[in-house]
Amino acid sequence: MLKMHNIRKSYRTDTIETHALRDFSLEVNEGEFVSVTGPSGSGKTTFLNIAGLLETPTGGQYLLDGQEVGNLSDRDRSRLRNEKIGFIFQGFNLIPDLNLFDNIDVPLRYRGFNAKERRRRIEKSLEQVGLSARAKHLPAQLSGGQQQRVAIARALAGEPRFLLADEPTGNLDSLMARQVMELLEFINEWGTTIVMVTHDPDLARRAQRNIQIVDGQVSDLRQSIAQPEIASA
Amino acid sequence: MFELKPMLSALWRNKVSALLIALQLALTLAIVSNASVIVKDRMEQVARPTGMDVENIIAATYMPIPTEYDMAGAVVADLDLLRSTPGVVDASVTNQIPLSGSGSAGTYFTEPNQEIGGENANYYQVDSHFINTLGLNLIEGRSFVPADEHVIGPNDQYHSKMAVVSKQFAEKLYPGESAIGKFFYSGANDNPVEIIGVVEQHLGAWPGWSRAGNVVFFPLLVTGNHKRYLIRTEPGQRDEVFKKVEDLLNERDPQRVVHVETLSENVQRTYISDNIMIKVLSLVMALLTFIVALGIIGLTIFWINQRTKQIGIRRALGATRANISRYFLVENALIAGTGLGLGTAGALIINQLMVSEFSQPALTLPLLAVCAIVLLLVSIAAALMPAMRAANISPAMATRSV
Amino acid sequence: MIGYYISLAIRSLRGTPILSALMIAAIAVGVGASMTVLTLNYMMSQNALEHKDKVLYAVQLDSWDPNQAADTANEIPWQLTYPDAVALLRSDIPTRQVAMHRFGFTVNLDESDMRPFTANTRVTTRDFFSLFDVPFEYGGTWNKEADSAAVQSVVLSKETNEKLFGGENSVGKVVQLNGEPFTVVGVLKHWNPSPKIYDLNNNPFADSEELYIPFGLHRKYEIYSWGNTNGWTSSAPEGAEGYERFLLGEHVWIQFWVELDSAEQKEAYEQFLTGYIREQKEQGRFERPLKFALSHPSEWLVLNEVLGNDNRVLGWASLAFLLVCVVNAVALLLAKFLRKAPEAGVRRALGASRNAIFTQHLIESSCIGVLGGLLGIILALAGLTGIRALAMGQVDQIATMNWEMMLAAVGLAIFASILAGLYPAWRISRTNPSVYLKTQ
Repeated sequence: MLKMHNIRKSYRTDTIETHALRDFSLEVNEGEFVSVTGPSGSGKTTFLNIAGLLETPTGGQYLLDGQEVGNLSDRDRSRLRNEKIGFIFQGFNLIPDLNLFDNIDVPLRYRGFNAKERRRRIEKSLEQVGLSARAKHLPAQLSGGQQQRVAIARALAGEPRFLLADEPTGNLDSLMARQVMELLEFINEWGTTIVMVTHDPDLARRAQRNIQIVDGQVSDLRQSIAQPEIASA
Repeated sequence: MFELKPMLSALWRNKVSALLIALQLALTLAIVSNASVIVKDRMEQVARPTGMDVENIIAATYMPIPTEYDMAGAVVADLDLLRSTPGVVDASVTNQIPLSGSGSAGTYFTEPNQEIGGENANYYQVDSHFINTLGLNLIEGRSFVPADEHVIGPNDQYHSKMAVVSKQFAEKLYPGESAIGKFFYSGANDNPVEIIGVVEQHLGAWPGWSRAGNVVFFPLLVTGNHKRYLIRTEPGQRDEVFKKVEDLLNERDPQRVVHVETLSENVQRTYISDNIMIKVLSLVMALLTFIVALGIIGLTIFWINQRTKQIGIRRALGATRANISRYFLVENALIAGTGLGLGTAGALIINQLMVSEFSQPALTLPLLAVCAIVLLLVSIAAALMPAMRAANISPAMATRSV
Repeated sequence: MIGYYISLAIRSLRGTPILSALMIAAIAVGVGASMTVLTLNYMMSQNALEHKDKVLYAVQLDSWDPNQAADTANEIPWQLTYPDAVALLRSDIPTRQVAMHRFGFTVNLDESDMRPFTANTRVTTRDFFSLFDVPFEYGGTWNKEADSAAVQSVVLSKETNEKLFGGENSVGKVVQLNGEPFTVVGVLKHWNPSPKIYDLNNNPFADSEELYIPFGLHRKYEIYSWGNTNGWTSSAPEGAEGYERFLLGEHVWIQFWVELDSAEQKEAYEQFLTGYIREQKEQGRFERPLKFALSHPSEWLVLNEVLGNDNRVLGWASLAFLLVCVVNAVALLLAKFLRKAPEAGVRRALGASRNAIFTQHLIESSCIGVLGGLLGIILALAGLTGIRALAMGQVDQIATMNWEMMLAAVGLAIFASILAGLYPAWRISRTNPSVYLKTQ
């Protein structure tokens, strides 16, 4: 599903060059649920942005679903993002002045579906997350957990093969966090590949596989989870 | 104490927005200063003294219906009638109405039989009541008496022996000396015309003419297919008399068409284009300044909103309210200063074009400075309100997460 | 997709009503001011003879003072002397030719209690109507002989015919002009070109004449011009006395137009004029270097500076004003779009390309343009009303907006707002989305 080989990413300001990722290689298989952990500033977010085609790596090779994406135009990358990738963020990132229906509508619009198809998908995905009754509500009228479920519904509406989650439970209390996590596991069971960045060792442990990023590199694949120093990071 | 360096680097990060404000101010200064020099020039034009009692003068033009018509007789009878009408101070006959935009001009020489080097002047053919009717101020010599008057036909070759002239024209012909008793020649001939009187000021028929103010009066009545009268009324009586004039003249002799107008109407009409320039350019200046002020307010509010947290942190770290508002005011002054500096250069360049391409007046530095100062004050005033609001941001904002 | 962007734009404008109102107002005021002045300038530059521009020519001959050039744009007097006009009329080269000037009559009817009035009159040769495409309602122009002999015929304007005869066919009826009987030979349809291209002497925006009489009447009624009469010498041909002295003297007061349909015709006419001036030089006239001018109507408008310096200054001032409004809108749009940058980031993550974001924001600024343009039309109409009031009725005919100008106003507003939106939309579409997706 996702194959990165020797990915490098560096940021330049006027004076300093920082390496966010160095010789980063990783493979995620179709249908896997992978958690990504690592200390602050280790490059987790950069990895996620590159995986989600939001940023281009400075060097290296990235194959998404067997397709080399390094040299694609912005238009093609946007289409891939739209069709194959779903995002879930810690801050939910719902558009505050659009109601739930219109929020979920956003990726479907860019997909070019007709009105009927969009409505069908929106209604279906709202149902999946149990918020059908609140389609006309604005995000601010919902609790954090509900907002995150909407964000998941939005990510799912386009039926992506690949879901990227960035601290999806970071802003939620433990009960809501568990609900969200159960939802993700449910989605994964239906075949969607999930990569989830998290701080929480308990959550990380629930994934099939855990990757740890330290200093811009995958430090140790398939190592045992819940290192104490990570948990305290 | 002035945090100039961090301020400059903050400005640099917002350079496009800052530049846009500076650019607006620059353009505004360039436009406003050039517009105000035109407005000032036109206002001076319009405010020129006419030398007449404009408010109380009525002009009547009539055309006789029959082709054969005793115009000289009609004029005498009409004027007698008008002068004896209650409320009328005096009435006179003339070939043209002052400030009406329609009249006659000739070329005059101080030597006989000259062809070049003459002075152009607007000329009137009037009677002995004319100076009193218009309320002109005779500063030298004498006015015409009835014995000076001559009546001629439209095709007669006749040269007046005497004339009253405006002071401006007298000084053109005989600079630095009294013109009374001196002579001039109208056209290339040897018929001397004696200057018997000088009036202080009269703009003539065309105030917009480059030689407006050069005026000659001859004591002549030239008959033709139409004639004009000027009537001065007692102060406050003009509108009363105005209503009666057409009927009075038609009653005395119905065989003609009479048209009556006030001199103030003529003054207004003659300055239409100046008035349009003054009003439109003033409106443009006011709206421009207003829009720029709104732009400054909008952008300052935006910056302050963006920096709410930063301001809270500064307040939490001990900055006083005065520190905060001063920060934004100084920042604004820096931008305004840059813009006005650019604008000064722009104003001068544009003015070059205005002078060379559109024959408009040249911009003076004091006027430019006044415009720049006004705009600076406006921009400070515009930044003041948001800056005060910024000072009221609570230090607690520092701990707020969003 | 455009529909989606428009609905997003409207939502966004409603989300920040004050800022949106400010931008719409700025564009509206800029467009209103520009369209007020541009409409005026556009109407002032209209050429009513556009369709015949290639074949019509205003004729100027340099008969002026040997010591000093005439004080006109091309240093040739605007008008001709009467003897020159009469001499040129003898040429059979032009398809049509007109010698004319403005005059005035008192008008009344026999056995009518209508109050006499004065009427602006054009004294002209018979080709006036066909050369300038003046449409007739009834009758037509006078006979050829009336151009040189005293024939008391008159053509009435539609308005005069309504005033005198209630609009009925008055051909053959008699009106009294200065107490003399004139027979109506024709009645025009409404015709009032502005600017009054055939006579730009005094007010180019004055109404057309109310009466038209033949050119052969000068001597009979001792007709002078009610337009401009300019002279440089009082000398006249030997023995000419009285009115003859004026008529034959060196005064220019006759306007002269010709229609030359082909290049050969024009060349022949130029040769004719050259020959005429040479001939006159031999008789001691035309002492200046040989010079004449044939100007197309479009050139004639420019030469006469119908669109004066003041109009040009106002035109530039209003465009500069619009420019400031655009810069103002750029700054405000930038602020507004940057505030919405997080939303754009989310959209990017959800599959919007840079182009999609760019288009969305450009459409938002165009919506501001459309609203600003509509409001601008209202402001321009108010501005034109103001100008009409200031001009005391002198520009009533030209200070009006037609549909084309209203469309142009909206077009200008959209152009201005797109111009204003380009940079902010570009900037927002280039922002790295990941910056905004991370939790603050």
